[in-house]
Amino acid sequence: MKSRRLPAREAESPADRVRHGVLHGLMPLFVLGASCAIAQATCPPNEADGSLLKRDSLQLAWRPLLQGDLPIAPAAIPMAKHFALTVQLCDGSAASKAVLKKVAATMPEHRHGMNYQPRISSLGDGRFRVEGLMFHMSGRWQIEFEVLNGKDVLRLLHDVQIR
Amino acid sequence: MTFRFDRFLIVRLACIFVLASAPSAQAGEFEFSADEIARIASHGPWPMPSKRDTGNRVSGNPAAIHLGYRLFFEPRLAANQQISCATCHQPGKSLQDGLATARGLQFGVRNTPGLWNVGQQRWFGWDGGHDNLWSASLRPILDPTEMGGDTKRTARLLRSQAELDCLYQQAFGKAPDPRDENLMVNVAKAIAAWQETLVSPATPFDALRDALLRGDDAAVARHAPAVRRGLRLFLGRGQCATCHAGPLFSNGEFGDIGVPFFIKPEGVDPGRQGGIKRLMATPHNLLGRHNDDSTRENATATRHLRPEHRNFGEFKVPSLRNLRYTAPYMHNGSLATLRDVVRHYSEIDEDRLHSDGERILRPLHLSESEIDDLLAFLESLSPDDPMESPAPPPKIKACNGTAGRPAPHRQGPPNGSRAKN
Repeated sequence: MKSRRLPAREAESPADRVRHGVLHGLMPLFVLGASCAIAQATCPPNEADGSLLKRDSLQLAWRPLLQGDLPIAPAAIPMAKHFALTVQLCDGSAASKAVLKKVAATMPEHRHGMNYQPRISSLGDGRFRVEGLMFHMSGRWQIEFEVLNGKDVLRLLHDVQIR
Repeated sequence: MTFRFDRFLIVRLACIFVLASAPSAQAGEFEFSADEIARIASHGPWPMPSKRDTGNRVSGNPAAIHLGYRLFFEPRLAANQQISCATCHQPGKSLQDGLATARGLQFGVRNTPGLWNVGQQRWFGWDGGHDNLWSASLRPILDPTEMGGDTKRTARLLRSQAELDCLYQQAFGKAPDPRDENLMVNVAKAIAAWQETLVSPATPFDALRDALLRGDDAAVARHAPAVRRGLRLFLGRGQCATCHAGPLFSNGEFGDIGVPFFIKPEGVDPGRQGGIKRLMATPHNLLGRHNDDSTRENATATRHLRPEHRNFGEFKVPSLRNLRYTAPYMHNGSLATLRDVVRHYSEIDEDRLHSDGERILRPLHLSESEIDDLLAFLESLSPDDPMESPAPPPKIKACNGTAGRPAPHRQGPPNGSRAKN
């Protein structure tokens, strides 16, 4: 298997060198910004984390994202377009250990779910990203979050009307 | 000063009076509610913004469009050198064939879909067996029951014909790929690039929608009351817009609507279930190496696809645009007229539906006048005049004296004919 060699710095155009220089210079700021974002993810969730659901001591905030990670309100989820979610879990402790196990959505009146299987990835500190959701019909959808909180498996439901 | 104030007050009062009385201009049954107007708005605007296919490196490339147009009508791609893509997708028949089921080298089992607006789709074919237009264009060329072509012959044709070789070089910026498989895929990508340009004209519905959004009651009133009543039925009791959504009047997904899926003499058409299997088996899906989008962001639908038991017997929700010109209807062409289609939904046989299928499908039991209204609305989703041949591709640098125009060929559209916009 061939390894790809990085382009030699000498081969860069002056514009590239300026751009790379600026990027290198800004890198610490990016890292700092990302750290701040994670720091802001501490509990309890705030408005920036999205819509809030509660069950016992568990709080779950979720926010839909369109392509390009454009955040939208749940009511603005468009029909038949893929979207992602960010989910913030807070189990009442300073560093949440609750785990998002499953996200599903069904149309109770239609008795079917989505045509797509969402995938969950952990971002750390109780934050999760869910990819690959789509509400392919208009009407009432019920979104279900299954959370492992200690030894308890909790199901949190939320209705969304898709137009 | 006082005079000016009073004069403007009168103007303002007059405006308020006009606005307040506006709904009465389309009074009675033809006054759409704000909620209805919002839902009607979601079926536009038309045309939709054009989008480049990131998985196809020559999407939007004029030379590729030109090459694709040329190849679409090229019979030498077929085993018998007598049929082409245009045999089933005929320019004079809304890019379908008017037959119940397709007829290539052999008889097919599904209705030929029209190609207008095909570039806006997520899944291709009645079973969604393809997740991109170039893969969907490749299959019929190679399918022994359709064109029966093969990769080697196509590659030989491209390399041996100076005009095609020249067009290819303009499109891809290099000589035809020495690897037959890659060359075949690029042929399909060029054909797809041309098909992406097939956008149907605006329809009477689009004019009605735009008039409603403008609040232009006079323009709204010019549309027949039956069309407006049919639109209300479509959105409301009919629940048609649950699946026939958006500017294309399709959510792009699949459903079982009780159309039999038995195939003569014996057998069944598994529909979406088989489509998912084909999709995942082909090396030409968006998860494969031929996808030109290195980020694979265009493969979200394929990556997250979830096969379900209910997929058996599901078929794609077709776009309702240009319906007047695309009879017969349904995946197997079993319904000859639009009236038959409306009657199908009106008296739908629930016993034919999956036990785990769509629960909103119930017989509508429409009256004859309601059927007429719904038909009037459905017909408003097509341009007034039948669509003729698509516009010719853009001019490009001449290849062997063709002056950038496609070489004449037997199955091409007549010179000078084009879609009326």
